[in-house]
Amino acid sequence: MKRIRLIARLDIKGENLIKGIHLEGLRVIGSPSEYARKYYTQGADELIFMDTVASLYGRNHLSEIIKLVAKYIFIPMTVGGGIRSLENAIDILRLGADKVAINTAAVARPNLISEISNSLGSQAMVLSVEAKKISDNKWEVYTENGRESSGIDVIEWLIEAENLGAGEVLLTSVDFEGTRKGFDLNLIKTATDSISIPIIASGGMGEFQHFHKVVSEANADAVAMADILHYDRMTFKKIREESISHGINVRKYV
Amino acid sequence: MSNNEVVIIDYGVGNIFSVRQGLEEAGASPIVTSDIKLIQSAKKVVLPGVGAFKNAMNALNALKMKDLLINIANEGVPFLGICLGMQLLFDESDEFGLSKGLGLIPGRVETYPLSIDKNQPIKIPQINWHELIPSEAHIDWKNTLLDNQESNDSVYFVHSFVANPVHKNHKLADYISGGNRISAMVVKENIIGCQFHPEKSGRAGISILKNFMKL
Amino acid sequence: MGQIEKKSIKDIYKLSSNIKFCKSCVISNQRPRILFDKDGVCSACRFAEHKRKGIDWNERQNELSLLCDQHRSKDGDYDVIVPGSGGKDSNYVAHFLKEKHNMHPLVVTWAPHIYTEIGKQNLTSFVDSGFDNILITPNGIIHRKLTKAAFIEMGDPFQPFIFGQYSAPFRVAIQYKIPLVFYGEDGEVEYGGAMENADRASLSYEDFISNRFSSVFPSSFEKYGIKKKDLEKYELSSNELSEIKKLKIEQHFFSYYRKWIPQENYYYSVENTGFEANPVRNEGTFSKYASLDDKLDGFHFYLAYIKFGHGRCQSDAAHEIRDGHITREEGVALVKKYDGEFPKKYYQEFLDYCSISEQEFNEIIDSWRGEHIWKYKNSKWILKHPVWLDK
Repeated sequence: MKRIRLIARLDIKGENLIKGIHLEGLRVIGSPSEYARKYYTQGADELIFMDTVASLYGRNHLSEIIKLVAKYIFIPMTVGGGIRSLENAIDILRLGADKVAINTAAVARPNLISEISNSLGSQAMVLSVEAKKISDNKWEVYTENGRESSGIDVIEWLIEAENLGAGEVLLTSVDFEGTRKGFDLNLIKTATDSISIPIIASGGMGEFQHFHKVVSEANADAVAMADILHYDRMTFKKIREESISHGINVRKYV
Repeated sequence: MSNNEVVIIDYGVGNIFSVRQGLEEAGASPIVTSDIKLIQSAKKVVLPGVGAFKNAMNALNALKMKDLLINIANEGVPFLGICLGMQLLFDESDEFGLSKGLGLIPGRVETYPLSIDKNQPIKIPQINWHELIPSEAHIDWKNTLLDNQESNDSVYFVHSFVANPVHKNHKLADYISGGNRISAMVVKENIIGCQFHPEKSGRAGISILKNFMKL
Repeated sequence: MGQIEKKSIKDIYKLSSNIKFCKSCVISNQRPRILFDKDGVCSACRFAEHKRKGIDWNERQNELSLLCDQHRSKDGDYDVIVPGSGGKDSNYVAHFLKEKHNMHPLVVTWAPHIYTEIGKQNLTSFVDSGFDNILITPNGIIHRKLTKAAFIEMGDPFQPFIFGQYSAPFRVAIQYKIPLVFYGEDGEVEYGGAMENADRASLSYEDFISNRFSSVFPSSFEKYGIKKKDLEKYELSSNELSEIKKLKIEQHFFSYYRKWIPQENYYYSVENTGFEANPVRNEGTFSKYASLDDKLDGFHFYLAYIKFGHGRCQSDAAHEIRDGHITREEGVALVKKYDGEFPKKYYQEFLDYCSISEQEFNEIIDSWRGEHIWKYKNSKWILKHPVWLDK
């Protein structure tokens, strides 16, 4: 059985950790660095930091936060939001991040994926995809934190990105995110059937059953969680325990 | 240089900041540098690395560091290669065509083996936490960097290519993936390689770095 | 249709030709009836401060409890009317009254011009979450004529909705003899306008009288085939007004009793009534959770943009700033990006609904263009003084 990674996703705006529904509205949860530290000590496998207002300003503002947390967090960190160029990516990695997550800039200029992958390694290049359902088996790529439609088919885009050198995909369902109703299983399964690089499922986890399904039925390689952690409805410890009792292979952490 | 100093080679490749943070957490005073003199007088050296083998070797050559590093290693200075840094210790790599490495440990860097287990297909790059197991040489971990390693702790791997040492006794630890054994840690006297990232492996990784600093 | 007369927006709405922006939010002094104080801060922002610091919300909560105690039916009959559409605000009000104050709300909906899918779905979800609803749909032919007339003569195709939505719930209140009608927010107060009523819980009888369509209904409407009698459903008749007086029917504002924060209403309605925001942003703005149910909505906001230079995004950004959800800097960036975006999704449907051509549409729009707001340059209309260039 393949091992599943448990990832905490932190959406950040300015100085605050926030959480929305459908990528809309934003309740302030608290201090990003405090929550990052909490998830690290609770046994997260990785952390993802997304700057949710970055596209609007055309740049990523997470350098201060990354610099700070890199001093006491020793697990992989991915940073996304407003990263537009190889230079931006290099700057972020220099501060202690391991991977960059790119959406809007890659859609505008797909060759950015190869540039980053060739220079920093494919494992550093995570393609972030916001998927909006169009019909039963079709999804459209959205950009700018779920605000702009692109007319691009998600599955075709995933295949192209893999060919360009993306190492991993962070796949978020715009329809399900923040709703606590579960993942878009059809989306994740269609994606995992179509490409051979790892896929992190994001958006919709409300209870353990959702996690179980997205891993065992939709074949996600990793699961990114936000709402369920930020509102303290489950801890990593509990998720690991439940995983083990359901026969899902996860890292042991005490 | 005092006992807790260690030089991290800065050759423009790799997430050096994290390696520094990890070593500081392990009680070291790291110096990040590409300065030849500082490297020459190093009491301990760490060679980080992320990305492509060929690019990394080109960078080392351009900075005229290749021979320098080989000499230091041959002088017996504790020398730790991390991730791509471990792969560079070997003779050559198949990534993007044949490239020559530092040749400090006999062996080759080759593509990640396909899974022999149908239920467990491998995705490349392999990005995951895995438990370390003793290699087939069954070298005792006591007095190595894996001293005091908790048996259930995992460490974090990210790679698409694997190092295959020629000699069994250079393999300290492996991990299992797709039914295959993959080299996780190699050691030849003072020269040590971690395929995983100790600076990204939580407290298990920090423990390994602490042991390195004790050498 | 004949030649359309150019209107003087400045005169009609009594606006200043000197365009100024609030130092705190992004609203301009071109919003009719808004006031700026000597520090350059608008009345809506001041009211938001008042909401934060100057009101004892516990006390208001007590008042709400007392009000409900007075009106609560003993036998489970309807005891409060909540005008609503399945939107986040009315869902919140109805649910809160029912669950936290044991009231028995009847939700009255005046139909949108053209229902959106998400609008219909939200009304259904709301009803399915346990509420009774009466949906009133006006005569389609008259409604279309009125919409066209309002568009041309008043510069707002949405007026028929606004007026109808106002009177219909009272008609039901009279019929069922329910003396309490609970609206959501007092718009004038929350969004900046006439501030003399800043701390009022309810509307006076005199306010009812002044809120009649015919008082703003130009006689020029007759040339669209609309008779005075057609307006009966859109306003309260004198008989109905007497009934309201006799039955002591009162309209209260929920925003008086509980601090009004639209985004919190959104979360509440998602968590309790199955409300779903638009998964894609609304045209002309960044937001997804407000005013979702009418395909013609976008044109109401677009006309505001043409008349006053501020559209939907500016309004949304302004209240998000006041509620502390975004900074002014972000608000300005959002306005620059989205304000005034043409609502093209339902454009053809709007033209068909009003039976006008594209050319006629453009002529009507231009007749309502704020002459002191716009300048024509390089074959384009651009804002003379947008907020992002304001110093």
